[in-house]
Amino acid sequence: MKHSVNRPPTPDAAEDQGKEPTLQEIINIKLIESGEKERLMELLRERLIDCGWKDEMKAICRAYIKKKGRNNVTVDDLVHLITPKGRASVPDNVKADLLQRIRTFLMSAAL
Amino acid sequence: MFVPNEDNTQLSSHFFGDLLDSVIVDVASESHRLAKLGLDRNLEEEEEEMSLSAQARARVSDPSNNGETNGKHVVDIFGQTYPSVASKIFECMNCGRSIAAGRFAPHLETCMGTGRKARLKVTRSTTSAQNRYSRGSPVLTYSLSTNRLSNGTPGVAGEYSNDTYKEP
Repeated sequence: MKHSVNRPPTPDAAEDQGKEPTLQEIINIKLIESGEKERLMELLRERLIDCGWKDEMKAICRAYIKKKGRNNVTVDDLVHLITPKGRASVPDNVKADLLQRIRTFLMSAAL
Repeated sequence: MFVPNEDNTQLSSHFFGDLLDSVIVDVASESHRLAKLGLDRNLEEEEEEMSLSAQARARVSDPSNNGETNGKHVVDIFGQTYPSVASKIFECMNCGRSIAAGRFAPHLETCMGTGRKARLKVTRSTTSAQNRYSRGSPVLTYSLSTNRLSNGTPGVAGEYSNDTYKEP
């Protein structure tokens, strides 16, 4: 007997089972579709470069790579390396600005 | 759909974190790429590479390895040796002589080229060439290839005597 005969039935589409998209998901879709997410990302990148945050993160990566040897490092390693420090060292004004813009968007999207 | 403030703040933070994570992944990926491609100015590595390349250069410029003064045995960067004059023999399609590969280009210059020697070959041997063709030599399609030289130009090195020619 083929294994395919015994496999569980294909799950039905989400709507049938009552799984509605969360508010978060709805807003995420709105963010992306309106292009606002892209704009916010570019703005955040620019701000983080201007304040030296990106250079700081790159320096941390370089030091780590130098220590480990460049053939022993994966992108994953680096991501895990700089995520905690990165999140903590975003300047307050940058964070506040971005949060404000997101909140504005949420207000307008909610109406 | 009215969204209360507390949720709003939490949502905003969520999305901010989302954006920030994306930026972090970008930075990590970029650093990783720079390191892997060797584009990053990593001091230690560069110094090592510089010294290695200096060593290689020293080996190449070492007089004992100099091919030009060493006659036949030149060693190139792949470690292969080859004689300084290519020695394989070819037949000139113009005059039919056996020429060494290394001498082929200069030979063609005189044989079918634009130099004075080549022109001399053409003008002096038309009639004698026609005689030779009637002897059943292989068909030569060039109009200039009438160089069954009988006047002995310097480039020929005296291989021909008057009114004779070599079978290719």
